[in-house]
This record gives sequence, C-alpha cells and structure tokens, in this order.
Amino acid sequence: MSGAEMIVQVLADEGVDTIFGYSGGAILPTYDAVFRYNDEHRDAAGREPLPIIVPANEQGAGFMAAGYARASGRVGVVLVTSGPGATNTVTPVRDCMADSTPIVVLCGQVATNMIGTDAFQEAPVSAIMGSVAKHVFLVTDPYKLESTIRTAFEIARTGRPGPVVVDLPKDIQNWIGEFQGTGLLPVPGYRQRNEAVQQNLLTAARCKAFFALLGESKRPLIYAGGGVVNANASAVLRRFADRYGIPVTTTLMGIGAADTTQPLSLRMLGMHGAAFANYAVEDCDFLIAVGARFDDRVAAIPDKFAPRAKRVAHFDVDPAEIGKVKKADWHHVGVMIRDFDALLAWGERHARVPDFQEWHAELAQLKKTYANNYDRASELIQPNYVIEEMNRHTGGRAIIATGVGQHQMWAAQYCDFREPRLWLTSGSMGTMGFGLPAAIGAQFANPDRLVIDVDGDASLRMNLGELETVTTYDLPIKVLVLNNFGDGMVKQWQKLFYKGRLSASDKSLRRKDFVKAAQADGFRYAERLEKKSDVPRVVREFIGFKGPAFLEVIIDPDAGVYPMIGPGMAYDQMITGDFIPSRSKPTDGSTPSGSSMF
Amino acid sequence: MRHIISVLLQNEAGALTRVASLFSTRGYNIDSLSVAPTEDPAFSRLTLVTIGSDAVIDQINKQLLKLIDVVSMADMTQGDHIERELLLLKLKVPEAAWDRVNDTVRREGARVLDDSRAAYTVELTSTGGRIDAFVEKMSNLAAITSVVRSGPMALARGAPAAAPVPA
Repeated sequence: MSGAEMIVQVLADEGVDTIFGYSGGAILPTYDAVFRYNDEHRDAAGREPLPIIVPANEQGAGFMAAGYARASGRVGVVLVTSGPGATNTVTPVRDCMADSTPIVVLCGQVATNMIGTDAFQEAPVSAIMGSVAKHVFLVTDPYKLESTIRTAFEIARTGRPGPVVVDLPKDIQNWIGEFQGTGLLPVPGYRQRNEAVQQNLLTAARCKAFFALLGESKRPLIYAGGGVVNANASAVLRRFADRYGIPVTTTLMGIGAADTTQPLSLRMLGMHGAAFANYAVEDCDFLIAVGARFDDRVAAIPDKFAPRAKRVAHFDVDPAEIGKVKKADWHHVGVMIRDFDALLAWGERHARVPDFQEWHAELAQLKKTYANNYDRASELIQPNYVIEEMNRHTGGRAIIATGVGQHQMWAAQYCDFREPRLWLTSGSMGTMGFGLPAAIGAQFANPDRLVIDVDGDASLRMNLGELETVTTYDLPIKVLVLNNFGDGMVKQWQKLFYKGRLSASDKSLRRKDFVKAAQADGFRYAERLEKKSDVPRVVREFIGFKGPAFLEVIIDPDAGVYPMIGPGMAYDQMITGDFIPSRSKPTDGSTPSGSSMF
Repeated sequence: MRHIISVLLQNEAGALTRVASLFSTRGYNIDSLSVAPTEDPAFSRLTLVTIGSDAVIDQINKQLLKLIDVVSMADMTQGDHIERELLLLKLKVPEAAWDRVNDTVRREGARVLDDSRAAYTVELTSTGGRIDAFVEKMSNLAAITSVVRSGPMALARGAPAAAPVPA
C-alpha cells in the first residue's frame, strides 16, 4: 500500500464521510488515492464514501470543516497542499483552537530531502501551526504514518477538543509499505493527563460541598459556555437546572446549551448580552460557571464581574481554566455529563430542592422590563426586525451560522435556539468570513436541516467565493445579508470611542451588486429587500425557497447593537441604548453616551 | 519569584519550539533554558528558569501540561532540590595577576582548561549566585574575553521527579 492509500484508509476507518479540500502539487498522491478509493467503494446508489468538497480558497475548506465539526460533534477533515494551501488554513486552525473545535488538517509538504531548501510551495508548517494548533505532526518516518493520522484524530477529539495539523511530505505519501490497520503514537503525557480527568469522579463529599453552597444561596445563576456544547452536556445541564430551578445564561459560544424559549433561560450575557442577563449576573449570589472561561467579552474586569456573588463554582475539562481569570470557591475538572449525573443522583438522595421563587419572580420582572428591543417605529428596516421575522419560521431549530460583527450580535440576541450545535459563530477569534463556509460544512453534516448564514456585507465579502460552492453542490442554504454598507461594528466603536471618525470602515461608495453576484454564482433565488412593509413576505419566501437562496436586506446603516458594555468596563456601566430601559445611568463620567451619537 | 521548571519532553520535531513559543505567545519570561536528551533517547529533559507571580507560574505550569509533547513537569523550586550551572570563562591574564588568578581558581573549586595567558580558560560548576560572584572576582583580576553559562539545571533531592510514564 502507498502512504497516500494508508492515509485514505485511516480516514475511512475513522468514520470520515466528507473531506473539505483543495488539491495541489505536494498532496496529489493523496488526492489520487481518494479518487481511487471512492471509485472502488461506491454504494448501491453510486455515491462516493469520501466526497471531496472543493472550496474557492483553502480558508473556506477550514471553516467548512469547522462548521461540520461544530454542527455534528464529529472531527472535520481538511486536505490541502503545501505552502499557500497550508498557510491559507492558518486562520481556521487558530479559530478552531480558540473555540475548541475538533478538526484534522492534512497538508502536503515538499519531499523530506527538500525541506529547508526554500523549495517550490514550501512553508514551515510545523513551526507556523505549532503556535496556533492543539498539535502539529511532521511525518518524517513513513512507518509512523498511519499511527500519526490515527493519533491526530484522537488528539483532536479528546480532552478539550481542538485542531491537529499533519504535515505530509510527498515522498512519505509515495512510500510503499505494509498497512497495519492499528496502532497509535506514544503520547504518554497527554494520555495520562486525559486519563486523570476521566478518573476524576465527583465524589459524594464534593457533591455535598456543592449543595451546601447552593443551599446558602438565594440567587444562584448558571453561566454556561461552549464547553457544555462540546461535552454534549446540554441535556444533563438542563435537567439539573430544571430540577433545582437555577436560571441559565450562556456565553456566545454556549448558545443552545439552554433552550432560549424557556422562562429560566436568560439568553446571552456579556458585552452585547441581554440587559436582563447582565442584571442577573449583577444580582446573583452564587455563580456556577460551566464550561466557560470568564473571557474579556464576558468579564472584562474580573473583580467586578458578578460582584454580589459570595461564591463561585467552576466546572471545566481543562485544568488551566480553573482560576485563570476568576478564583472559584468550588471547582471540578472532569467529564461534564458524568459530573452532573452524579450531582443529580446525590441531590435526589440528600438535598432538598431549595425555594428560589423570589429570585424567579425577580428574573421574570427583569426579562419583561429589560427585554431586547429596537426602533420599531423607524421607516428604515431594522436588522433586529428581519431576524425576528426569520425566527418566526425556524422554530429555534435551524442551524444559524454567522460572520463577525453587528449582524452576529443581532442574530445571537434575536434568534431562538431550542438545541445545542445549531449556533455556529467565530467566538474567540472573531473571524469575519466564517459564516458562509461554516454553513456549507454544517449542511454536509446535516443534509436535512434548515441552514441559514446570517451575514454582513463586509463579512460575506471575505469569503464571497464560497457562494459558488453553495450552488455547485446544490446546498439549500439560505444566505441572509444584512447590508449596512460597511464594517458596522467598527463604525459603532468609531462613533463611540473615536468621535465618529469612520476610518476605512465605510463602504457606501462600493459598487458591488450582491444580488447580481449571487445570480452569477447560480442562485436562482436572489433578492434585495429595501421596503419595511415587504419584510414579512420576502423573508417567508426566502426561508421557504427549495434550494440555495440569497437575500440582501438594506438595513438602517446607523442601527447599533445594544445593550453594550464598553471594552474594559463593568456591568454597571452597561449602555442599553434608546429602546431598552436602563436600571442605572452609566456611572463613569468618561463613558460616552452612545445613543446620542447614533 | 524565580522558579526552576524541569520538563520531560518527547523528542519530536518541533517540540522545543512549541515550549519556547508558549512562553513568547503568552508573554512569559524565560531567563535561561537548557535541554539535552535523557538516558532514553525518546525523551529530552528541559530545564528553564522563569520569573513570575504565583498566578503566572501556576498558568505556566498548567499551560505547559497542555502541550502534547510534554510528558511531565516539576517545579523544582517547590521542593528541596539541587541546582547547578556550568560556567566556561576565558580571560587575558596580565603577568602581575597570574598568581592571584590561579589562587582564586583553586579556592573557588574551578578547573583550568587552558593555562595560556592570552586565552586562560576555566570551568566552574556551581550555583548561579556563586558563579556570579566568581565572574565578578575574576573580572577584577584579569580581562574577561568570553563568558559562557549553561543556565541552571536542577534535580529534586530524594525520590525521582518527573520520571517517564509508560505509554
């Protein structure tokens, strides 16, 4: 068997059903092996077992794999060539690292005897990726090839998930040897540490200590992050929260961990979180962080975050997150599903269900008084309105991918999510251009789901080439572009913090006709929505269209994202804007009043 | 506070880079770094000296343990340990100072490797502080042309620390 054939066989053994990639010189042997494997293993209907989905740019392939992985929980696979092919995936690899998304990137490399000679399409992938990936392998010993690929999958999916890169010199792909079909590389330290986390059960004594904290509390609050989604622990967390009547707010990455339609679900907290969620954080006396890491968009000033919380509990799978930002009085590093099962079981036997009715009543009032809201009377189309209309048709069960910026925050604030893995967004890295390729990957993972890319004009431009990928594979993805002619979030910050100097963020003079662009790329449904009164009808037609659909909505270019807690500010300095009441005036006199500037 | 961290590392392509890169990307200091294979060629021992608050050192330790190649690590400064550093020192020794230079070398337990006046070379294995003092003394007697230091290495006293674990 050739090295390339071994690579493909390991992919098949790992259960891979889709490869996202772009060919090129140094990866040709493996592309050929995939072709031959597919040719020999078609199913009765003639379908290929390992279809290769070809993007416009390798960055697109990386985000498709990320979207696939986020929506399915399985490892996304990218196959690219050396040099530029590999470096084009640096952004998605870093994005996957920052959001703990499991992908494996296989990239060609120049032959081992050429490495370091500045050969054609050579890049120091192991050095570049070493700083951004969970791990990177450079295969120099062909006898270790198959075990390396297997180990890459193991590392990507275990512990705190992340991206693993395997650099594959061309001579290694062309090497002929015997396929073992089994075997992993020794990574003794990593496995031992994972095992320690696996073995770290939540003991009765620790359950007791946790329930003691809960028993002292009158206002507990669960702050759930992406770790809950990654651990597939949403169901058990919901059972726990329901059993004890503990409200749940989620981070941007944790959206879907709780059902946003439920009374005790407080939606998203943080910089652009719901005002009621942020007030609940201010009011809570016991903060239970679950798979969340107190990042700067949530806890810009850690000491002032949840200032009335007498106690903090922290569950995570990564020991490095415990105490990194905020000290926890009680913490546990372990397997989340098992840990909450243990808490529930212990609680049934030993704990009384506390009475949080007063807290629930306060929260109900907060949710009513400080609900998300916007300028409903405006003649201009408000983005929030478009998303509300869209949300009426999805039932909280559509997959929503986004780019980065204002539209991302509006989608986070106004879409409902009944389940986890429906919300695909670049949280930590904040990569513009994420949405469209992520939606493509998610549609491959879930062919029968409604997948919508809620995008901005600027974010969409970043990976605009992937519009053609949507129609090439006839994916029924809905691409919704909220066009405010510029980098809206940048403009919002420039208005707030730079006296309105819109340095390089205004795109109103750009001439692109997005609808024609979509039509040119083969979208049979491509419409522009400019009249407010048309919103309900057009959104309904757009969502209901069978097949790829593109809708550009010309929105109020001055619409802002509210609420907003400015960078480096505390929750009591939250600006709620003109349409959401505020519990207090901003206390810092230097805080500009954003609303008057919009 | 100053910490000596001993890391057992898998001998893989790029492993050392990943450790060094962790320090630079997260803004941690490295005062010194020394690395060499262990008795098992599959593993290297890396000793690094870093300075940071307790919170920073705690993060360094935890982040190091997230690197896949790191087999194990130990913060030597948390327990009783032996610390040694190697100094190679080259001097130009003036005629008048010859005897005093040789006396000092003998008294401090250094060893002469080259006794020519123009390239007088000695080695000293000791703690960082004593090496500092020795270099200072010698600089008052002769003209230093080169100072080469290995950076500290450390070993826990008593039972072995950070031993390889079975796969």
